[in-house]
Amino acid sequence: MGIIKTSKLIFDYIRRDEEGNVEGITRAVDEVSLDIRQGEFVAILGHNGSGKSTFAKHLNAILYPTEGTVLVDGNDTTDDEKIWEIRQCAGMVFQNPDNQIIGQVVEEDVGFGPENMGVPTKEIWERVEESLKAVGMWSYRKHSPNKLSGGQKQRVSIAGVIAMHPKCIVLDEPTAMLDPIGRKEVIRAVRALNDVEKITVILITHNMEEVVHADRIFVMEKGKVCMSGTPKEIFSQVEALQALRLDVPEVTLLAHELRRGGLDVPRGILTRKELVDALVQLSKGKADVE
Amino acid sequence: MIREITLGQYYQADSVVHRMDPRTKLILTFGYIVSLFLFTNVYVYVCAAVFLLVAVKACKVPFRFIVRGLRTVMVLLFVTVFFNMFLIKGEPLLTVYRFTVTREGLRMAVFTSSRLVMLILGSSIMTLTTTPNNLTDGLESVLKPLKLFKAPVHEMAMMMSIALRFIPILMEETDKIMKAQLARGADFESGNLIKKAKSLVPILVPLFISAFRRANDLGMAMEARCYRGGEGRTKMKPLKYAARDYAAYIYFVIYILLIVVAGNWIPKFW
Amino acid sequence: MKLIADHVTYQYNKGTEQEIYALKDVNFVIRPGEFIGLIGHTGSGKSTLVQHLNGLLMPDAGTIYFDGEDITEKGYDKKKLRSKVGLVFQYPEHQLFEETVFADVCFGPKNMGLSRKEAELKAYEALKKVGVEEIYFDQSPFDLSGGQKRRVAIAGVLAMQPEILVLDEPTAGLDPKGRKELLERIRKLREKDGITVILVSHSMEDVAEYVDRIMVMNEGRLLYDAPTKEVFSHYKELEEIGLMAPQVTYVMRDLEEAGLPVSTEATTLTQARDEILKAFGRKM
Repeated sequence: MGIIKTSKLIFDYIRRDEEGNVEGITRAVDEVSLDIRQGEFVAILGHNGSGKSTFAKHLNAILYPTEGTVLVDGNDTTDDEKIWEIRQCAGMVFQNPDNQIIGQVVEEDVGFGPENMGVPTKEIWERVEESLKAVGMWSYRKHSPNKLSGGQKQRVSIAGVIAMHPKCIVLDEPTAMLDPIGRKEVIRAVRALNDVEKITVILITHNMEEVVHADRIFVMEKGKVCMSGTPKEIFSQVEALQALRLDVPEVTLLAHELRRGGLDVPRGILTRKELVDALVQLSKGKADVE
Repeated sequence: MIREITLGQYYQADSVVHRMDPRTKLILTFGYIVSLFLFTNVYVYVCAAVFLLVAVKACKVPFRFIVRGLRTVMVLLFVTVFFNMFLIKGEPLLTVYRFTVTREGLRMAVFTSSRLVMLILGSSIMTLTTTPNNLTDGLESVLKPLKLFKAPVHEMAMMMSIALRFIPILMEETDKIMKAQLARGADFESGNLIKKAKSLVPILVPLFISAFRRANDLGMAMEARCYRGGEGRTKMKPLKYAARDYAAYIYFVIYILLIVVAGNWIPKFW
Repeated sequence: MKLIADHVTYQYNKGTEQEIYALKDVNFVIRPGEFIGLIGHTGSGKSTLVQHLNGLLMPDAGTIYFDGEDITEKGYDKKKLRSKVGLVFQYPEHQLFEETVFADVCFGPKNMGLSRKEAELKAYEALKKVGVEEIYFDQSPFDLSGGQKRRVAIAGVLAMQPEILVLDEPTAGLDPKGRKELLERIRKLREKDGITVILVSHSMEDVAEYVDRIMVMNEGRLLYDAPTKEVFSHYKELEEIGLMAPQVTYVMRDLEEAGLPVSTEATTLTQARDEILKAFGRKM
């Protein structure tokens, strides 16, 4: 049994006019069935409006399915009695770093979740310390969040979630508003959580470079999961990704272009090293023939 | 770039007053202000001044910072002195043109102005030595009894601390929106009052929209982190009385006893 | 219309203990029709520099000349300058305020003192240029999607018919599709209307793909100001200040090191592809 399991999840946004009459229905999530195992690093890709954020909000019981079910650690999200258990189990980090920090001091913000859960004072301090250390922000504990960079703020938000001891953490485009340095910081912190703390990670993003290390990738389009597989499997289908007008990592794209140019480069190249090795191999082969 | 914005007027220092529990400071400041209105007697005022001076010394905030608080009430102070001095009838001391200074008038002027000065200085010490955050915590705790009357004490405190967190962000945002509209040729300076007020629309509308968006996001983030009101919440930094707080209370009680004695049994000499 | 920065220096918190140089002795010339990339990590002074170009900030020392005139002089018409040097801030959709898309885009030209009719004409043209369709003109800007809002906001600046268009990270927060579309629009603006473009960006790939000349800011100073290829050849120095060259540049370096006969000059995907294919004796 996976940590998160959705079956035929459907979510409709209902638009109403000023009198409250239904104006139209938009199906944001359309029969999505996923099964995510404990400890996995899963990435969900897609355009803005592909339904990926709406899907993510179901995992934390912020939104409830119109049809179908969402099970978080075996609990149905529509079960009102389990709601706090679910929110504690599946922590959530949002896009805008400014709009999710509540505390005026870094350490107080990290303590906010445990305070809400009624954790004893002494244990709150232990959790705050361990969480801030896990994201490398311990030395900033007395700082005001207003003076941190975007990447640092997001790391504080992540610490705020892990202080609640979740089994799973859902990150909804955590890097969309950051600069490249901030992006790297955040992704590094997330990967460490997955590798070291074995926390299940669900990363929602449209940045392809961030997902090459994921265990599995789901691509969403118009509310449906239209592709899924390992990064290698996904990125060997460059044409399909381009048809969805999604980005492909530069290196993968270059390899693809070289293939089209007639070079026998293998499919699904993800890193610079893979590409260079492949090309060196090829040139050796060519020299042998000559 | 976030500009330095000092909210309230916290002055960073390491003193016994800084470390005191915010509840102690709140209660004592309130008590002190009340005490100033109990008696009109020069001995009482000397006692109050001495009490204040000790607090000033103990809080390690440079005197000029504490006095700064007076600047805002300068006009009020001046008006008080003026009206008391010239308008209260009694035994004439000095006459300039049509105005007569009376003994009673002078006495009232001195009393009310020193009352006002001490009141401002006393509360300045509290705000200078307590972070806004701490103050909010203190208020929540002190006002807890009001919960019996269904007053939303926890919610008010939470609102205050969120406001404190977002004021700098919204200030920066205002600056950004203003610049963006200036870049589109907006003019906030020229024209009459109505035109100026109208020119604020392009700033206020985006600012409100942004504030609503932030509120919406924040609400969601708080819920996702299991926030469900004050019930069953524990505190990371619970307020705790220490020896210094008891000492402060004892010191205050002695002061009250002194002024009661001074106010009732020592005869007035003018 | 030349824009010249002459020894521009700017300090934050001037006169206090926390004086910081946001700009230090910055010099450059921007000529008509150029496509310039401005890069540097957060806090390097890019945004401060950009705000000097249209007189939102005034240098503490040095001057800026636009079309031969000193913009720091008293009595210089800044409103007019702001219409000539259009500045699009980061997340410009946050400045939208009018009830309809069309009215919002009219705000700029109206402020320039144009008649209602003229303003509407400019707004219409600008919205067309950024690819907003007519069916959206009467809608509230707040009902549009993120990418559309952004385009409306850019039209709001374009409607003033600037000669120089400065865009501070115009693609931030957009998805790949929206990013590409927007950059292509900007490229067209420059090719068709001859607008000079200054693009502030964090994406080295975008910069390599679109601009001809790069200015690199670091700690308030202008570190490099040179053609794209030349700037990216300093990739080691760029890394030291928290920047990078485009991915493909690194691939070419690695290949050269491995002994393949490739030139390391390529900065875009197409260049890299052609260069590698050439090394293998093939052509696209």
